[in-house]
Amino acid sequence: MLAYSEVEGLSRKSGGFTLKVRRKARYVDEEICNACGDCLEKCPGRAKDTFDMGLRQRKAIYLYFSQGIPAVMTIDPEACIYLKKGKCGVCKKRCDKGAIDFEMKDEILSLDVGSVIIATGLDIFEPGDLTYYGYGKIKNVITGLQYERLINATGPTGGHLYRPSDQKLAKTVAYVQCVGSRDLNYCSYCSSVCCMCSIKDAMLAREHDPESVSYIFHTDLRNVGKGFQKYEKRAAEEYGVQYVRGRVAEIGEDDEGNPIVLYEDTRQRKVESLKVEMVVLATAATASRGSRELAKMLRVKADKYGFITTRNDQPADTNVKGIFACGFCKGPCDIPEAVSQSSAAAQRAASHVLRSVGAGASKA
Amino acid sequence: MVPKVAVIGGGIAGIQAALDLAEMGIEVFLIEKKPSIGGVMAQLDKTFPTNDCSI
Repeated sequence: MLAYSEVEGLSRKSGGFTLKVRRKARYVDEEICNACGDCLEKCPGRAKDTFDMGLRQRKAIYLYFSQGIPAVMTIDPEACIYLKKGKCGVCKKRCDKGAIDFEMKDEILSLDVGSVIIATGLDIFEPGDLTYYGYGKIKNVITGLQYERLINATGPTGGHLYRPSDQKLAKTVAYVQCVGSRDLNYCSYCSSVCCMCSIKDAMLAREHDPESVSYIFHTDLRNVGKGFQKYEKRAAEEYGVQYVRGRVAEIGEDDEGNPIVLYEDTRQRKVESLKVEMVVLATAATASRGSRELAKMLRVKADKYGFITTRNDQPADTNVKGIFACGFCKGPCDIPEAVSQSSAAAQRAASHVLRSVGAGASKA
Repeated sequence: MVPKVAVIGGGIAGIQAALDLAEMGIEVFLIEKKPSIGGVMAQLDKTFPTNDCSI
């Protein structure tokens, strides 16, 4: 496993590929560190916690997330005072195992492989450009992934829906669907998972707090998987989730920081507004940042959104023999789909490398 | 041909592909950009349609 590493180049050679991989310096020895956390206590450096979607700060030396593998600390060179100014080193003094090494350098590895599988996944569309939704201005307008961190017991609020502006428990929550998705200006495609995700989020809110009320503002609910329709119904019947058909036009804010959602109820044919305590934007999911560059490097075709193109007759195969793709990097899919695509890609890659081994052996 | 495979991306898709290959006895390099594997899935609280924990 090569965590904290990035692919920088690929060359072809007979019978396979050579990948150039940069193993970034963690400044912590992976073999020695046991993530005890002694180093964290006095670290003065601060940075946004990217795992928690910026909802809290972390220290310059950090564990990416609590159950993460490899379970070792990493020093963020952008936030570490020693690495920037040459003074501090408190973590090194605190670490009695001697795991911290400020002299560590990036390592360039050269890997000879017979096949490559691309599984670079997704990134979340940044909704700041959609100024009418107020993301970034109205504190209690957050993204779906931020919500996941809030409702998570290991997240910044310990699983309580304390809204960002005043840490008050949010009891009425509006979910705005298709933020950036199915929008000709941004991502014209449907991100496929957000409808189910918002329904799930609304159900979780009620599980955490029996007084919670949720409204889901949707274009049309696209719940096409196995058991999904039943799930949608169950959310309404057992969890009191309210579905409103209509796209949200604008989100404002009152003096107490409550977002006000302006929308058209297309069933009633009326323009309405609704005051809530928090808004969750179901943002589009995009191909991960850097996927275009990676595709170019591997000479694999990608569409205009950066999703890897695969063959119609062999859905795991790219246009390059020996390079396969699976999961969200090919296009929107949910977790079970990603898992089955991955098994398919693994199978295709295995037969690719083993067939040639077999052929070589029979020649010999 | 080298009977080894590189998997780029250590989210749910990459982890699954790497595990399947390893079970077939093929050496796998699982390459992840972030400090630990798990990807976006690890950031989720529960997953639909069963409301199971994501990790």
